[in-house]
Amino acid sequence: MARVELNDLTKSFGDIDVIKGIDLVVESGEFCVFVGPSGCGKSTLLRIIAGLEEESSGQILIDGADVAPLEPVDRGIAMVFQSYALYPHLTVRENIGFGLSLTKMPKAEVRAQVEAAAATLQLSALLERKPKALSGGQRQRVAIGRAIVRDPKVFLFDEPLSNLDAALRSRMRLELTELHAGLAATMIYVTHDQVEAMTMADRIVVLNGGRIEQAGTPMELYDHPATPFVAGFIGSPTMNLYTGDTARRMGCDTYGIRPEHIVLDDEGCWAGRIRHIERLGADTILHLVVDDIGEMIVRTDGQTDHVPGASVRAAPVPGREHRFRQGDAFRIASG
Amino acid sequence: MKCRDSALRRYGIGTAALAGAFVVFVLPFIFIFLTAVKSPADAAAMDFTWPERWFFWHNLVEVVQARDYLLLLAYWNSTVITVFAVALLVVFGAMVGYVLERRQSRWNKVIMAFVLAGLMIPPAVVPTIWVLQQLGLFKTIHGMILIQCAYGLGFSILLFSQFIAAIPRDLDEAARIDGATPLQIFFKVIMPLLRPVTVTVIVVQSISIFNDFTHPLYYLPGRDNVTVQLTLYNFQSQFVSQLNLLFMNILLVTIPPLLVFVFFNRQIVAGMTAGAVKG
Repeated sequence: MARVELNDLTKSFGDIDVIKGIDLVVESGEFCVFVGPSGCGKSTLLRIIAGLEEESSGQILIDGADVAPLEPVDRGIAMVFQSYALYPHLTVRENIGFGLSLTKMPKAEVRAQVEAAAATLQLSALLERKPKALSGGQRQRVAIGRAIVRDPKVFLFDEPLSNLDAALRSRMRLELTELHAGLAATMIYVTHDQVEAMTMADRIVVLNGGRIEQAGTPMELYDHPATPFVAGFIGSPTMNLYTGDTARRMGCDTYGIRPEHIVLDDEGCWAGRIRHIERLGADTILHLVVDDIGEMIVRTDGQTDHVPGASVRAAPVPGREHRFRQGDAFRIASG
Repeated sequence: MKCRDSALRRYGIGTAALAGAFVVFVLPFIFIFLTAVKSPADAAAMDFTWPERWFFWHNLVEVVQARDYLLLLAYWNSTVITVFAVALLVVFGAMVGYVLERRQSRWNKVIMAFVLAGLMIPPAVVPTIWVLQQLGLFKTIHGMILIQCAYGLGFSILLFSQFIAAIPRDLDEAARIDGATPLQIFFKVIMPLLRPVTVTVIVVQSISIFNDFTHPLYYLPGRDNVTVQLTLYNFQSQFVSQLNLLFMNILLVTIPPLLVFVFFNRQIVAGMTAGAVKG
């Protein structure tokens, strides 16, 4: 358990500024998720915390100590890679115990710790296998086991679930959340998948172009996005965002309304036509073309008898609209 | 009918290819073997005939005993040169390949140019002898080891760096986070993964070093320094040639590389082509 503090952290590769001044505190025991589109600098930020990349300027404190001069191993961190990075020539047992065996720890103790970690992750039966004889989910667990066994202050995850299929990913999300609850460790988790961010995080940090757009709990970000970028990034299907004349008529520079916050209502203020219908079973996603506004996505319940081409009227749910203005203070109080 | 035609064509081409390979590769070997077991007079005729009498054991003993067991000394020298040179080639080839591949710097192009120059530019014999003399390495076995190492290093570095490029960098970083030092990363994580290409380098280089005739001839004169290929001179001179013994000698010095090649053939190809296609 440790508190991680980043002070005015920057990173440049040549002329390109990848991280442009990040101030952030990850509290002890917190599950913090860095989320953002490709190239936003989230993985670089994680690698800087790990010590795999050197920061250009700024400060990283783990439990109050400046770790900038320390090697990764001395920072008290463990990292799980997107590719798992298991040593192909070693068995599961040797993979998990690799770090411990380098510390000249007695073999019996390494064995005991490896077996304890394996038991936590239900890997005990697989200890003598090589990574190539494991499924994707099992490999992922071995990679996590390698992290757990080091008893780190901070766990770093770099898109660990992106190579798994959808069903397995959802199960691993649950397992990771339980693991976090069990270990009560500080975890920093990088993903581009907003579903992972929403479901697992205590706090989400949305990154864009090397800066923090907004940091907060999942529901804070969902209910009160600070910028149109966060509004568009969090939530699925994505929020309907309008600029230009449409937004000006609403009294702002960018107007946003989530698909689930639009109701179909014969008295509604927006008139349009259904262009396309996506039926997901529990929900139905309607793609509308609304007069004077343009395309609009509406989420409605699964049992709906709408057909493409039909004319409908819709209205926003009062109090769930989002209005943004250009400049530093983006958000205008919702309503 | 059509089916039979295509089968005929397929097997016909295969048979022709096999026959061609037989003529090129196997016939000379049979010729060597037959001449090696003939009597001196029989062998002097140099024709492809069945021996009138078999002198296999007699010729073998005579070749081994020739010039006070020179062949055995030659085997020892060649083995020492081959083993040490190949060991150095593997260690340095892998290390240089690893650093070139993993640590990008502006020097990489310069170093790579030297590596390629080592492959492309033929060695100049006289200046090399001069350098060896200045270093006190001329006519020494360890000088010869270093020469073989230098000549083979370009090829080894290229093979190793190509192979290392296919090993994900995440492995190095995972090991670093696990607390491995750079040397531990290399020897405990990277080196074990280089096994296929290491076998390739060992086999290709040991065969070429063991079979080398010209370089020992230039750089390693002296009776005590003889290597296997140079023992062929034992039975050939301007006035007398004992062809049966010469061919027995050829047979004896050909067998070790041949055995190595037969046993490791599959792994050589695996090492050469690894990383060519994402697996």
